[in-house]
Amino acid sequence: MFKTTGFISFVLRRFTGVVLVLYLLTHIWVLGAANQGVEAFNRRMELFQSPVTITLEVLLLAAVVYHGFDGIRLLIVHYFNVTDQRKSLFYAAFATAALLTIVGGVPMLLFAFGIG
Amino acid sequence: MTRFFQVQRYTAILLVVFMALHMIVVHYPPGHIDFGRVIERLENPVWKAIDIAFLLTVLVHGLSGAWVVLVDIGKVNPFRKVLAVLIAIVGVAAFIYGTMTIIAFQLPT
Amino acid sequence: MTAQEQTIQARVHIQRYNPDVDRKPYLQTFDVPVPQGMTILDALAYIKAEIDGSVTFRRSCRHAICGSCAVNVNGKNMLACNTPLRTVLTKKNEVTIRPLSFQPIIKDLVVDRSAFWEQYLKVKPWLIPPENSGPKEYRVTPEEVKALNRAETCIMCGACYASCQVVAMNRQYIGPHALLKAFLRVLDPRDSAPAERLELVSGTDGVFRCHTIFNCIDACPKNLNPTEAIETLRKLTQRRLAFEKEREERQKTL
Repeated sequence: MFKTTGFISFVLRRFTGVVLVLYLLTHIWVLGAANQGVEAFNRRMELFQSPVTITLEVLLLAAVVYHGFDGIRLLIVHYFNVTDQRKSLFYAAFATAALLTIVGGVPMLLFAFGIG
Repeated sequence: MTRFFQVQRYTAILLVVFMALHMIVVHYPPGHIDFGRVIERLENPVWKAIDIAFLLTVLVHGLSGAWVVLVDIGKVNPFRKVLAVLIAIVGVAAFIYGTMTIIAFQLPT
Repeated sequence: MTAQEQTIQARVHIQRYNPDVDRKPYLQTFDVPVPQGMTILDALAYIKAEIDGSVTFRRSCRHAICGSCAVNVNGKNMLACNTPLRTVLTKKNEVTIRPLSFQPIIKDLVVDRSAFWEQYLKVKPWLIPPENSGPKEYRVTPEEVKALNRAETCIMCGACYASCQVVAMNRQYIGPHALLKAFLRVLDPRDSAPAERLELVSGTDGVFRCHTIFNCIDACPKNLNPTEAIETLRKLTQRRLAFEKEREERQKTL
């Protein structure tokens, strides 16, 4: 019920937000290997260079850019009186996020699968 | 709550800048990531300072966001103070550990 | 007769629930002839008079000013009295009418709106005039009236409250209707307690619990703008004492 653009953006924002917080904590823990020296860090990073993890990182990129542009959209709503353009604003934010995911994700996939 | 909202909004603006920088400098172009690639940049103490500021901003924004997500649920709402303390502990621990990691990126002597 | 004026047959699905008998709500279908210009409320009245007298719904004025007849039609909240039935029919000439969401159902389309009114009273919806207000009239400028344009004609129908997903998650939230009223009073140059009101709405259950979903704007049958009101209140809470000072200065010139 009430599946408006506002609700879709809200659900995506919450979902990506929670995913990103969980990722952030994992990220801090993973990079923490640097505390045990160069070898430990390189060994740990080796685990995350497979095609599977890089594909997952593309999804992560999508979450980051969506959350970011959704946030920019809300900042615009906060600072300017643009609630009447709410639908176009959402589509614009979503399209920008999708575009940036493709622009950033394609080179990642090319690298992951050793093409080009 | 007013302050809380302001903090969330200002960290959001900062994060747009930091995150763009992070993506371009650290992950672009995509490639094999090891200690050598990171140290090229993190040798510079200015980058260390930027990364520590980034870490602080993202933790504040992320963890207070997580708190709001939890507290929004009616059944969790009565425990919001306990949750705030727990999340603050996680945040402080993550910040200390993360800062240690950033400082640990030194050329081996 | 042109095609426009012909009476068509519509299948109206109404959510029925009698707490004394039914374990959970169910949909019942009624066939209703729809002449040109029939509103949803007319259809409900037709069903009650001609088919099943036990169908229960609220209505009073029939011209969108009493705020009694808000219902959920095809997943959207609207007033039954000012919506022509033909505009909400699907291609198969069907329509589904449910009671307003997130509130306990008393019977059929009637919900218990106590929570709505409790939240409304929390923001002190009445005007607090300055203590030394004399016998003279207040003069408010056209600009000041214009600023309240999309807030003052609220009829308290509850369409926004029952479409707000924040309310769905957390009944502690004050709600768009009450925050819109708070906005109306805060920006009213005749009101003398804006700082107190802003203090009130800046708490954990106030304006900062809104997540800018915009459902309240979509739902409002009066084309009001609670989201913009909430954003304005958010900005004002950050300088509420300065705002009160400005108000005192303004009231000296009233």
